[in-house]
Amino acid sequence: MTVRGRDAMLSPLQYALRDVKADEAELWVRRRRSAISRYAKNEIHQNAVADETHVQARVVVAKAVGIASANSLDPADLRRLVADATAAARESAANDDWPGLTAPAPMPEAQAYDAETARADARSQADAIKRITAAAKERGFRAAGTHQIELNEDALANTNGAAAYAPGTMAYLRALVTSESGTGWAEDLGWSARSLDPSDVAARAIEKAALDRDRMQLPPGDYEAVFEELAVAEVLRFMSLTGLTGETVKDGRSFMAGKFGEQVTGPRFSLWDDALDGRTLAIPFDVEGTPKQRVTLVEGGVAKGVVYDRQSARWFDTRSTGHAADPRRYSVGGHAGNLTMAGGDAKRDQLIRATRRGLLITRFHYTNTPDPKRAAMTGTTRDGTFLIENGRITRALANVRYTMSALDLFSGIELLGPQRLARDWWSSNGMGSIVCLCPPIKVARATITGSSPI
Amino acid sequence: MPYRDSQLADLVDLGARRGASYADARRVEREYEAVSVRDGEVESVTRSGDRGIGFRVLHHGAWGFAATDRTEDMSLRSVVDEAFARAEAAAGTRAAPVALAQVAPQRGEYRTTLLRDPFAVPLTDRIALLRSADANLKGPHAVSRRGSVAAYRTRKHLVTSEGTDVRQEIVESGAGLSVTAVKAGAKPAQRYDSRLVRQAGWEFIDYLDLPGRAARYRDDAEAMLDAPLAAERPTTLVFTPEFLALLVHESCGHPTEADRVLEHEIAFAGTTFMWPTDRGTLRYGSEHVSMTADATVPGGMGTFGWDDDGVPAMRTKLIDRGTFVGYLTSRETAAALDLPVAIGSARAEGWQHFPIVRMVNVSLDPGTQRYDALLRGVDDGLLLEAPASYSLDNKRQNFHFSTQSARVIRNGALEGYARGVSFQSLTPAFWGRCDGVADDWELHGFLSCAKGEPLQLMRVGHGAAHARFRDVPIEVRG
Repeated sequence: MTVRGRDAMLSPLQYALRDVKADEAELWVRRRRSAISRYAKNEIHQNAVADETHVQARVVVAKAVGIASANSLDPADLRRLVADATAAARESAANDDWPGLTAPAPMPEAQAYDAETARADARSQADAIKRITAAAKERGFRAAGTHQIELNEDALANTNGAAAYAPGTMAYLRALVTSESGTGWAEDLGWSARSLDPSDVAARAIEKAALDRDRMQLPPGDYEAVFEELAVAEVLRFMSLTGLTGETVKDGRSFMAGKFGEQVTGPRFSLWDDALDGRTLAIPFDVEGTPKQRVTLVEGGVAKGVVYDRQSARWFDTRSTGHAADPRRYSVGGHAGNLTMAGGDAKRDQLIRATRRGLLITRFHYTNTPDPKRAAMTGTTRDGTFLIENGRITRALANVRYTMSALDLFSGIELLGPQRLARDWWSSNGMGSIVCLCPPIKVARATITGSSPI
Repeated sequence: MPYRDSQLADLVDLGARRGASYADARRVEREYEAVSVRDGEVESVTRSGDRGIGFRVLHHGAWGFAATDRTEDMSLRSVVDEAFARAEAAAGTRAAPVALAQVAPQRGEYRTTLLRDPFAVPLTDRIALLRSADANLKGPHAVSRRGSVAAYRTRKHLVTSEGTDVRQEIVESGAGLSVTAVKAGAKPAQRYDSRLVRQAGWEFIDYLDLPGRAARYRDDAEAMLDAPLAAERPTTLVFTPEFLALLVHESCGHPTEADRVLEHEIAFAGTTFMWPTDRGTLRYGSEHVSMTADATVPGGMGTFGWDDDGVPAMRTKLIDRGTFVGYLTSRETAAALDLPVAIGSARAEGWQHFPIVRMVNVSLDPGTQRYDALLRGVDDGLLLEAPASYSLDNKRQNFHFSTQSARVIRNGALEGYARGVSFQSLTPAFWGRCDGVADDWELHGFLSCAKGEPLQLMRVGHGAAHARFRDVPIEVRG
């Protein structure tokens, strides 16, 4: 994969903004080159690479906003794009709440980029997969999953003189191992392909698949539980979508609304959004060109703050925290997409040993929120759900349905392990764009409301 | 560099010359235009478009796919190189070559039938309509109101090494409305619909009567704030066609996708509980339940001339009077399962995506009784109007749905609202409780059925009529 670089991405934008006949104008571009090898039953069944460039123009005329997007950086196409957005603005109506475009500001350096990862080819991806499938076959199991390498380049320029560029890479290796009777999951995620360890991923998934036999169904009820990192990321996703933005507070839908400074969950829970943490997949500015800030959301269980884009900042007479979202995915009002949850030093074995009778949850599938105001989540578990008795995993469980408020779950945190980079089920294939640096946890109570068949 | 009409044929020829056993090239050009109004203010007027070419080869028995939005010759040659490199890398992992079910070469054109081009409607008219709807969303407790209208156009050209050369132009129109009502001491209530879409022109937006619909949503949201909690016990549920469209989508459409049987989606979307050995015997639902996949329904969001394998639009039964009988297939999955090509369901969201098995229009077949007769058969029950939260397990067996708005049915008539209603069931148990489907079948559409890696959002259609289900255990949460 080739990086186009700062000049190739930014200069066409700045050139196209010269002589714009409007009050304000902005061009934002995201180039994504995604190479993905999907495998199932130990074979690669889809092997695809796509290089796409999304350019969005926002043009403002007398507080009326026109937006147009296309997928070309050619000068003639950009001129046409700006003209389209200008025409849309002129045909539109004024937004009296329009906050204006961002002003130039010092921009933090991109940290989540690795040139070697950007150059990874199809053969290296296949080689990593072969290591996993060979290990699975050795045990008589079969493996499925994905190996994904992404190169992203974001650039933004506006008529106020703001200019920003950042490259980023993502390396993502996932493995689902299936035995005669069950399944096990493991994955590695990072901004460098060097952080992927196919042998370790295979070993972890195989260990769980081997344990997943003679399943029993768990009756509904409240249980102690160990949530591994992917399961925690799933719960955090609903906190983000339902309660961590200026928009959800304005609408009264957030669990934070009217609660700032109050205890909303347990004292062992702290959460912030930090796109400046070098361990995450962060881009250092948002789609409006505002530098991202670290925002403390919950500290010691106390509601502290939410994230803002320029529009929601305007509603609250405050400043954008750099959290405008990709408009193709989220609505105006802010998006908390780089969540960091405070961890601890408990090892996985300690979390299990601390559980008298409960369950271990590896990850969830197709979750949703039946009660957004309480950041509640419902979803079934998959690929590694086990019964823990007297500090030991004793049985495999049929997938269970969990339904509970995140605030109630995190009120019961007893132990925390070290943080790891994880994505929820929705974000793992791009349906969402949340990345979590989060720990495994042991909680006093998780509510199970049903079960899949054995 | 502008696109040349011969580029696709050139790519396919090049693929064949380099030894591919099969090659196809697909050019897709998409346009989208939307207006949204929030709390009476124009939030945005958006116009977007993209275009590019996807190139797919079967080489050494494995797929390779590459796509680009650059159409100059050098980029296209690079796309060919990359597709072959990916096929060669995959080939080293395969035990058996990919095979494709036979389909005769296709030639022709398909265009949406429409009365009024939605892109040609003046923006001022669209804004005026949304402002009129917004005025009707206003209520004493409405804190957030949103409305939008959108137009979509997709032009697609597919050329294959087997002689298929087909062109399609599909136009869709859609709208969305939402209102959030908040009152001290009550749970916030939301009423919304973002699935008001059809393969049609602006005449569909006229048909929707957005101002009238907005008033109904406002009334529902306001009423839900003060509604009493429902009683938690097994009860009779009647579902609107809108609600059932989603239930059909999630609990029949997805588990009948043949790529789930082959475990192609096991790591993300999951598998199924409907296996090949179950065809013709698995009791999926009651005798009242029949479901059909049909890519020919006029106006359907899953209607087309040909799928992205070049298979012409077809119609096939998935559930026949309660028994599982059929799958949604691509040429690859049909061959792997040794099935005849009864439906073409290989679809890609855009030029940058590999075609995978997707729904077309998957619908609950209509019954014979009138809706009022169905209601008269309920002494004590609930009408569930629109879904809110929904969640399913990885085999599409256990599911959980909650509702935005529930109406109380007493002695065959609607009276007031109830809140806090959700239900959890296993798919065959739920459809087995169906004891009647009305004759008021109507078509719904979804813009964004999510599947695949990387994500592909697909337009799909679902028809349904009101239907009644007995003794459904419900959960109630305040």
